[in-house]
Amino acid sequence: MNEIIETEGLTKDYGQDGVVTRALRGVNLTLTAGEFAAMAGPSGSGKSTLLNIIGGLDRPTAGTARVQGQDLAKMSGTDLSRMRRDCIGFIFQAYNLIPVLTALENAEYVLMLQGVPPREREERIRAILNEVGLEGIENRFPRELSGGQQQRVAIARAIASEPALVLADEPTANVDSKTARSLLELMRRLNEEKGITFLFSTHDQAVMKQARRLIILQDGQIIHEDHRGEVAGVA
Amino acid sequence: MILRLAWRSLWRNKRRTVITVCSIALGLTFAIFFIALAEGAYEQMIEQMVRIQSGHITLEHPEYRQAPSVDLWITVPPQLRSEVEKWPDVEETKLVILGQGIVKSGAGNMAAAIMGVEPSVEKASSPVARNLITGKYLEASDKSQVVVGSEMAERLKLAVGKKLVIATNDVTGTLVEELCRVKGIFRTGSEEIDAYFIQMPIDFARRLFHLPREGATQMGVILKDPGAQKRIMKRIKDRLDDRPISVLSWQEVMPDVATYIKMDKGSNLIFQAILIFLILFTIFNTLSMSVLERQREFAMLLAVGTTARRLRLQVFAETVFLGVIGCVAGLFFGGLAVVYGHVYGINLSAIMGESVNISGFALSSRMYTKLSFGIFFGSAVTVLAATLLLGLIPVRRATRISIVDTLR
Repeated sequence: MNEIIETEGLTKDYGQDGVVTRALRGVNLTLTAGEFAAMAGPSGSGKSTLLNIIGGLDRPTAGTARVQGQDLAKMSGTDLSRMRRDCIGFIFQAYNLIPVLTALENAEYVLMLQGVPPREREERIRAILNEVGLEGIENRFPRELSGGQQQRVAIARAIASEPALVLADEPTANVDSKTARSLLELMRRLNEEKGITFLFSTHDQAVMKQARRLIILQDGQIIHEDHRGEVAGVA
Repeated sequence: MILRLAWRSLWRNKRRTVITVCSIALGLTFAIFFIALAEGAYEQMIEQMVRIQSGHITLEHPEYRQAPSVDLWITVPPQLRSEVEKWPDVEETKLVILGQGIVKSGAGNMAAAIMGVEPSVEKASSPVARNLITGKYLEASDKSQVVVGSEMAERLKLAVGKKLVIATNDVTGTLVEELCRVKGIFRTGSEEIDAYFIQMPIDFARRLFHLPREGATQMGVILKDPGAQKRIMKRIKDRLDDRPISVLSWQEVMPDVATYIKMDKGSNLIFQAILIFLILFTIFNTLSMSVLERQREFAMLLAVGTTARRLRLQVFAETVFLGVIGCVAGLFFGGLAVVYGHVYGINLSAIMGESVNISGFALSSRMYTKLSFGIFFGSAVTVLAATLLLGLIPVRRATRISIVDTLR
């Protein structure tokens, strides 16, 4: 099996005014390539913290976290940037598109960071925008798009560089249920057709239902896991 | 993409950007205009002074400066003078005899500065010759004719054709007197010159003071380019060999004027610094606000793999755009103002009166700005450099964010 995420004894403490809050308590998690997994749990359970550490946006207090075999704790800030650029796609709850860039420019941003030539970038992104159902809106700015369309642009941005892993933090929280369903279907299709590993942090029941693996967190620990289906791309 | 992002980010808040650009442009316009006006005023002052007196460069007896006296005269070899006149940076040379005496008329008498000049040279460029209000200017052939200042003419009730007596000591210390007639009356606007100066042909002065042929108290060198002063002085010194002749700059001959200009430049510098500080304050506010407003966006950019360096470059590019646009606009409007001031002059008589006297030299109330690439370039570079340096602070702030906390 191809482990894409491995955490062992992952612990994260936050301290403020002398008060220490333990957000993660020795989390052991392994995610295989091609998984479509969701982390659920009440607020403060550590979902976002775990996602942030796996994404290289935060560092653990103790324990290890590996992405594609690389120990994140041993990586410098620049290495983490590079890893996020090349290996991980991010989808945020609030879309976080750059308002002064068009849909196409937003989606191609990571490819630009990777140094892909402009013509090739445009070709790839047009194809991806087509794939996510956004043909014809390439030159619109985020303010001219609906919430669902903006999130599709964010998805396009996240997958444009064909990352091994997409981390999605509450991706359906800011859209209506119909849009949420269509976004989920899209991400599921991308997982099945391209084998992209998805890890969600979510409160959304629909996401939890769609996930082939459900990880329940509470008080910084994994209290339950539910494996429901095959991993994409694995026989 | 960085430049595109920077450019578009600049125009997210159009009003704020336009206000900032205008403040840079306005500040630079004022800076350029006032520097050009001041430099123009200095230039006018120096021009008047060197043309009335003894040039940008003065050759005189080594002891003359300590105790100016007509017996401390020099003879400049004619071949040296004609060689100097052929140098490209030299406009002309002039011989001058300066002495002190008393001028008497039927109405009274008064002290005077007696100036023997070469009329052919003075006619072309001297403010005295250009500002005759009545009569005619001197000719070399005039035997005993003089031109006097308007103030002196008024006090001594002199008019064109009237007689006056000049009493002075010649080079041997003997008291001599000469009867002469007024050929013309001048008004330069300078109280000192109009009240105390009397000009006569140099040969008349030589006769009066018993100086030999070719003798003079000073030889003045008028330059086409005042910036060539040091170089020309050195060349003249080299040509003089061991002759007992000092070569002085106008700054050494007229230290009062030089000091005044230096002090005025100093206070202008303070004014410019305050102006630039106010501009920078506006720019800093704009850039800081712009960075603060976009922290979430910056956090996202860092999250998806943008390096801190790249992000700083993007924000710095915004500063560059802001500075360049502001400076270009400032150069344009400042340039327009300076060209206008250079061609038509700025009439400050409402503030200054008809003229202002500085160390005895009249500065006209119509001031002309100096057209100089150095002024434009220097001011723009200063403002742009200050803008870019200041912009480094918000640039650093852009990446000093916690991605996790900002995105939460």
